[in-house]
Parts: sequence; structure tokens; C-alpha cells
Amino acid sequence: MSAQATEITPAPTAKGGALRRKLPGSLAWHIGSLLILAVILYPVIWVVGGSFKNSDDIVGSLDLFPSDPIISNYTRLSEGIADIPISTFFLNSLTLAVGSVIGILVSCSLTAYAFAKIKFAGRNLLFTLMIGTLLLPYHVLLIPQYVLFRNMDMINTNTPLLLPKYLATEAFFVFLMVQFMRNLPRELDEAARLDGCGHFRIYWSIVLPLSRPALITSAIFTFINAWNDFMGPLIYLNDPEKYTVSLGLKMFVDQDAVANYGGMIAMSLVALLPVLAFFLAFQRYLIDGMATSGLKG
Amino acid sequence: MHQDKNVERRTVLKAAGASLAVAGLGATATACGGGSGSGDGTVTIRYAWWGAEDRAERIKKTIALFEKKYPKIKVKTDFQVYPDFWKKFNTQASGGNPPDVFQNAIGFLRKYDAKNVLLDLNAQVEAGNLSLDGFRAGLEKFGEVDGKLLGVPVGSNSMALVIDKPVYTKSGVKPEQGWTWDDFDAAMKKIRDKAGRAGDSGMYGVMYLYDLYLRQNGKAFFTEDGLGFTEADLKEWWTKAEKGIKQGIYADPKKVAQTKPKSAVAAELAAGEFTWDNFTVRYTSEGKSEYGLAPIPTTDGKKTGQYLGSLMLSASKRTQHPKEVAQFINFMVHEPEVAKIMGYDRGVPATQAQYDAFKPTDPVNKAIAEYEESLVAAGVLEPITPHPNGADICEAGFMRIAEELALGKRSVDDAVKQFFTESKTALGS
Amino acid sequence: MGTAVTHAPAMEDLTQDSEPRHRPAKSPRPAALKRRGRRETLAGYLFMSPWIAGFLLLTAGPMVASLYFAFTDYNLFDAPQWIGLDNFSEMFADPRWQNSVKVTLWYVAVGTPIKLIAALGVALLLAQKRRGQAFYRAAFYAPSLIGASVSIAIVWKAIFSDDAVVDRTQKLFGIDVGGWTGDPDLIIYSLVALTVWQFGAPMVIFLAGLKQVPRELYEAAEVDGAGTFRRFWNITLPMISPVLFFNVLLETIHSFQIFSSAYIVGGGAGGNACGPADGSMVYTCYLYVQGFENSRMGLASAMAWVLLVAVALVTAVLFWSQKRWVHYEEGA
Repeated sequence: MSAQATEITPAPTAKGGALRRKLPGSLAWHIGSLLILAVILYPVIWVVGGSFKNSDDIVGSLDLFPSDPIISNYTRLSEGIADIPISTFFLNSLTLAVGSVIGILVSCSLTAYAFAKIKFAGRNLLFTLMIGTLLLPYHVLLIPQYVLFRNMDMINTNTPLLLPKYLATEAFFVFLMVQFMRNLPRELDEAARLDGCGHFRIYWSIVLPLSRPALITSAIFTFINAWNDFMGPLIYLNDPEKYTVSLGLKMFVDQDAVANYGGMIAMSLVALLPVLAFFLAFQRYLIDGMATSGLKG
Repeated sequence: MHQDKNVERRTVLKAAGASLAVAGLGATATACGGGSGSGDGTVTIRYAWWGAEDRAERIKKTIALFEKKYPKIKVKTDFQVYPDFWKKFNTQASGGNPPDVFQNAIGFLRKYDAKNVLLDLNAQVEAGNLSLDGFRAGLEKFGEVDGKLLGVPVGSNSMALVIDKPVYTKSGVKPEQGWTWDDFDAAMKKIRDKAGRAGDSGMYGVMYLYDLYLRQNGKAFFTEDGLGFTEADLKEWWTKAEKGIKQGIYADPKKVAQTKPKSAVAAELAAGEFTWDNFTVRYTSEGKSEYGLAPIPTTDGKKTGQYLGSLMLSASKRTQHPKEVAQFINFMVHEPEVAKIMGYDRGVPATQAQYDAFKPTDPVNKAIAEYEESLVAAGVLEPITPHPNGADICEAGFMRIAEELALGKRSVDDAVKQFFTESKTALGS
Repeated sequence: MGTAVTHAPAMEDLTQDSEPRHRPAKSPRPAALKRRGRRETLAGYLFMSPWIAGFLLLTAGPMVASLYFAFTDYNLFDAPQWIGLDNFSEMFADPRWQNSVKVTLWYVAVGTPIKLIAALGVALLLAQKRRGQAFYRAAFYAPSLIGASVSIAIVWKAIFSDDAVVDRTQKLFGIDVGGWTGDPDLIIYSLVALTVWQFGAPMVIFLAGLKQVPRELYEAAEVDGAGTFRRFWNITLPMISPVLFFNVLLETIHSFQIFSSAYIVGGGAGGNACGPADGSMVYTCYLYVQGFENSRMGLASAMAWVLLVAVALVTAVLFWSQKRWVHYEEGA
């Protein structure tokens, strides 16, 4: 990213005083960026400020922060939603998110290894099929999958939400890993083959460790997706005790929003925190993962 | 079965003991039969209902009471908010695994009877596990469909006009039993002019109110298998609505939409709303004003078309413990202690014994009791027919299309046509 | 299901297996080669087995089932009843379905271009290497991660409701619409605003594309006296056209599938509706209502297939059009 060649600014040239042109340009750049930043951040700051306001002042008042902040919106969260402690929802979401991450890492990396490192009959056809699923609208599968899981008596369990992750149906991550593994130096695994290593050894001791960046990117995206997922839990989970944070929030909207609007806003913010924390900790991996996914690996 | 209440209860208890002994024998004989029977004769039944936290607390207490009196029956509970409840129930019922006993309403009796989900409780009445005696105002008939007893009412509600009292007083409007729609319209204008507030939140979309209006004119919203009114009827109703919106006597539908789930009355967008009488409890907790109940306007100065609506308990056809389920329902509708715990949460208790056991002390609940008593006294109550299969979808459609009309997205003709098209599909006719 | 990852790989990679062909190092004897080939195939399928199982059980099988359901009346209680094309004729004649198509097309047609233009514009701004660039890039990307959450949908509903910040700001300019979320025509624009707010993901991809444009090209153009706009039009745009194509394709496909934000922002407005007068009843919301609230699984499956065909058509048109405006580097 630091290479000079990456800069595409109309480079300051000799014509016209370089300094004179640079200063206002820089100022305009920063003002522009700050303006966009303000728009981007407004909703987030709004929810932070709103969570410290009285319910009645949240929507009607234009002040971002209240003059007399209250914390009762947060303390009331300890009462839970519909008699269920907030921690239950977080634990459920965490279970699903961590379960998803493990599933994706194992199943997608195995599949990606086969695509990237093993030559076998039918590989190109399967690869095309896999790419095809990438563009397939999920809704076509929604109803038959629901019927399938219902017939297997798995509604109201985590299985319908986790099983797809363990069967590598998230083609995006397979693709990300395939691209990454293909670019690993071939000499390493060829040398290992000559030493008599089988595919599993190569996969486990050479390719996986070298693919760490792709694995980390996949893991973070998977975690965030699972955390944010709304439609899946909406369809498959029925017991409030099994609800994820997203469904818990929706239940808050339906049940308590009138009586406790401030609590709902506070809960909205708390629900965002894990994702924001992941973002702050791993933003490089996320952005690089995004950037490379759009370019040819 | 014309016994005294106490005798009744003792008989039931005795019968229960005997049946439990039999059930226990049965369980040892066919140990691998039912999944929920255990070796010592204890059975577990699943009970599901919709409602909020407050109701859950109360129900928990009533179940503790039940389990104390029937130590061999364990009750596993489960509750959701209304829409989620039916989503889950639908899933479970379609998968052949519905709860043994559950809260139900008149709009769903035929729907789930058509799907073969509901147990006919008549056999349990005959077996003496469930008593239909002592119900108020003929309520025991409410769960009957084609001679089958598909639900037992736990409480009754009636449609009412819930009003913001200070606003009505300020405008000098005093609704009285027997007032007419013309009086009502004049009152709406008075409220608009004197209090500067819309008089009503949007009555044109309330299916149950339109039902009353139709009943005042000798019709009804639903017949046994379809709609009980014509396109011309609905056109008249909605033409009047359109005029009212233009005159500003109904609240701005845009604002009403945005304040949801808070009610327009509590949000001070309207001075009144046609809804179930026990909603005053909710409005009182939501809003800052004082809320009261006013009579339904009439067409002829007498007939309001009102009837008692009700929440019920139903059993599923698949239950392996019909007897225990019947005993449970029986306990919940007859036991006076239950009424003391539940209050008017599910409406005014359905049986006289429970009605007498709970006498409200707070003004809001007192007003509800007085309102229902006044209805009985005025002799305006009518019987109700269970709604046809698909009625719930019709109701949602009625509300939505009326809202579209109010928002100016549809003309009256268009709205009427759309409602009849959708209803036809929903009712499968 | 509300994914933050909205982007997949560049298209030239999607169409073919682009692994560089390599010659066999030494040629072992044919029999050994054959044996090794068989072993490799076995290993390959073994490694792939989770994916193959998933593909058959959760993708291919369900697609076949869904196609069958589309021609049946299926309410989950009774076995599916074959009814031929009835679902399709009912669907096409249903004004609510027509409305959901209109709302969705409007959302895609307005939201996607604005989002991509914003993404490209900001990417051009950020491509200038200045202090704080990395910070801004990260900050602008953040909404793409949280935008699909229920929390943000709740916030959005509040911000765009009556008397809230957007409404008050409008009133300053003398426009009083009484809140967007209560207006059947405006509520969809609050969703458009929500998707535009998430311009960060395509922006990051644009940025990566911009960084690969060789600087010499600009220098040469400058010598020729080309102005800023000419340089953008003649150099930048053609050079990033593969990335632009990729963003257009993926954003369009994903816009068609918007669900949770529409469901939450439009929720609670009466019965099984989405927004006032179905104002935010996008296609997938109506599919959900028909399938899961009205228990009409057959009809909902038919709706899903219509969506699939529509998305496939849009994809095909985009691929067909790319020959005219997408420039791939030679040899890629």
C-alpha cells in the first residue's frame, strides 16, 4: 500500500507554485473527509447519546447528548426482556457465531484445498457449480430448506443455522481461500510430496499455517455475519430462551418498546458492541480481505 | 350436571384421583408408549399461550397452584407475543407436535379445526373431567363449532369506545348508551373544533367495529364460511371514512403508523379508539391521560350489535393426555383462586365463581367490570358465530387496506375490490 | 441471510478455473500415473466431501424441491397438491405482489447507482494519499459491517420518523412531510439512505482498483494536456471498469434480496404488512409473509423462482453488456 505507484492524485507538477496549490487542496480534502465522516458517524453517535436520554426525549430532541444523562436505560436492561436475561441472548448469539466460525474454517479450508491443490477429474465442473451458488439468491432455498429441517424435526434447534456452515455452503469463503492457496508457492508442497507427505499432512502442516490471513478474514466475517443474522433465527428459532441478540431486540421492539423506548435504544447499542469491537481489532484483515476479493487473487 | 360448585370440584378431584390411578396402571402396562409419562404415573403436559411478561408471571402462579392440587400432573409452559405465538404454533402443529393445551381465540377455531388440530372436548365433558356449568352469559357456547367443543372461554371482552376522558369533557361530549352514529359524528366534529384533536384513531379499519355496525343492520362480518356483507356495504362504510379523513375527524394515518406499537390514543393523536374494553389497562400504562369506556354508537338508538369476545383454552387432538388436559382447563376456568391471581388480564372471568372471586379495586379494572355489567343490563349482547378458516388473514387485510385508503393510496372502489379479492383467496371460496 | 460480506471475486475468475497450468515435472510411467491419478481423485473428493454433501443436501436438492413446490398448493399440514401454474397466475394478478415488485425495483434502481457513485466518489477522494487516509478508509467501511443489524434498522426508523432529525432538518427548508417512515411513498427512501450509508464496502474495492492504475498513464495524459475530468474519463474509468462491473453486479444482486432492514423499519404497521400501505414491502418480505405467516409454501416457492429468474436475467444482461464497456488487461 505504500508504493508510490499507487498514488493516483493528479500529481503536483511544476506548473504553478506547488506549495500554493497543495495547501488549499489538502484543506479541502480534510474538510470533505470530515463531512463524510460526520454523516457516517451520526447514527452511531445518535444511538450512544440516545441511550442516555429519557425515553420521551430520544426521538423528539435534536440534541445529540442530553444535558442530564441518565443510566437507567442500562440498569433496566438487567431486568431482561420478557423475563429472559439479556445474557441469554448474548450467549445464544455467541454459541452460534463461534460454532459458525469453526464450521466455516474447517469445511471451507478442506474444500478450498481440494480446489487449489489437488488435480482430479471433475474439478472444474465442481468449481463452476460452486461459483454458481455464489450468485444464487438465498430465498430459493429458504422454503425447501425449512421444509427439510422441519421434516427432520430440527426446527427450534441450532442445527439449521449451523449445519450449512459445516457443509461449506458459504461459497464466498471457499473462493477466498482457493484464491489465497493458489498463490502460495508451489515449491513448498511439491517438496513435501517428494518427501512422501500425504495430502492431509500438506494441508495441515503447510497450507493451513500459510493461509492464516485468509482464515482470519473468513473467521471475522463469519462471526459478524452470524451475529447480525436475522432471517435465519427468525425462521428457525421459536423459543425466546433460544433467541439470538437480533431476535431478542426484535422482541424488545414488539413487547417493551412503548414502555421502555430508552431501554431498547440502549440494548441496540449493546448489541452492536461485539461487532464494533471486532472491527476495531481486525479492521486491517477485513478491509484487505474485501479489497483483494474484488481483484483477481 | 346441576351440582353445587363445591360438590362439583370435589367430584372432579375424586375423578381425577381415580383417573390418575388408571393412568398410572396404564403407564406401567405400556411403558414404552407415551414419551411424557413416567414410571410413577406423573404426566407432563405442555401449555402455550401468547402475552407479555405480566401475564407470564400470573400464569406461573396459577400453575403452581394447579400442580399442588394435582401433584401427578406437571405443566411445562411456553409463551410468545401474539404473532410469534401463531408462527410457532403453526410450525409445531404442522409437524404433528403442537402443545397439549394452548390459548386460543374465536378467529382460529375453524382454521385449526379444518387442519385437524383441535381436540373435541365433549368427550371429556361427558367423562366428567371438564364442567361446562356456571359460565356467565352463555359463554360456554363460544367454543362450539359444528357441535364440537373446540375451546373453553377463560374470560370475556367486549368492543368498546375507549376515550381520553379529559378531552371528551373539555369538548363537552357526553356519550350515552343508545347514542347514534349521527351523534357520534357530531361529537367528532366538536372534539376537533374544541380540543383541536382528531376524535378517532381510524375506526374504518377496525374489523370488529365494522362487524358491530353490520350487526346493527342485521348482517355480520363473517358467516360460517365466508363474508356476510356485500361490496356495496363496504363501499358505504369506507366512503364515509374517506369523508371523515378529509374533515380531520380521524387522526393522521401517517402519524398513527409511526407511533405504533404505541396506540394513537395514548400518543395523544386521537381522543378515542374502538377496541376491546380491557385495552384501557394498556392505555393507562402507555399514556399520561385518564382513559374511560364509552358505549358503541347505534343505528336505531338501541342495538349496538355487541357480543362478548373471549380468549379460550383449547387442546390438541394429538395430545396423549386428554384427561389431564381437560382437568387442567377445568381448574383454570373454575377455580376461584385462579381468578384472584389472573384478575382481568384475559378479560372478565368467564365463570360466575371466578367472576365473584375477583373484585377489582383500581378504577380502570372497575370501569371494565361496570362496562360489561352495563352491557348485560342493557340487554344488547348477541351470540357470535366462530369465524371461518382464513378469518385472521381477512382481518389483517381489512386493517391494511383501510390504512391504504386513509393514506390516499387507493380509491374507495379500488380498496373494496382489493379486500374482496384477498378475502376470497384467504377464505378459499 | 443479512451478510456483511457483499462481495465476491472478480468476474473473470468466476467464469473459469484460472489456475496457471503447469507442465508435469517428469513423466512417470503411464500405469503409475494412472494409479496416482486415481489416488488424487479419491483424495480430492474426500477433501471436498463436506461441500459435496452440502451442495446435494442444502442446495441442489432444495432447488429441485422448491421447483416442485412452486407448482403445488402446500400449507405444511397437508401433502403438496399439484395445481399447475395456478401459483404463478395468482401471483401475477395479485396487486400486493405487483406492489412488492415495484418497491423492490425502485429500491434497486435508485439505491444501487447512488451507492456506487458515492463509493466511487469517496474512493477517488481517499485515493489521494494524505494523512489520515487509513483512518477515514476504516471509518467509512464500518457501516457496511453493522448496516445489516437489527440495531441499525431500529436507529434508522427513529431517525427518519416524525419530528426526528431528518424531519426537523427538512422543516428548516420549509418541507413538512411528517416523517418518512409513516409515508407509503417515502419509507422506501429511508431504506435507500440506509444502503447508501453502507457505501464503504464497494468503496474499498474501488480503492484497491484505483491503486492498480499505473501512474505513468496519468503522467502521459498530463503531458498531452488532459484535464482532471478527461483523465478520469479516459484513463481511470476504463482502467477500473472490471472492478466497477464487479461492484455493479454484486450490489444489484444483493439489493434484490434486501430483507431484514425493510422488515424492521417497516415493521409493526398493521397486520402482516411491511411499512404503511406496504410502502416497504420488498419482494423478500412479501415472500416471507406468504410463506411463513400465511403458510403458503407453494406460492412462496413460486415467488422465489420468479426472483431467481429475474436475478439471472439481470446477471445475464450485465455479463452481455460487459463486452462493450469493461476492459480487461491483456493476458489476464
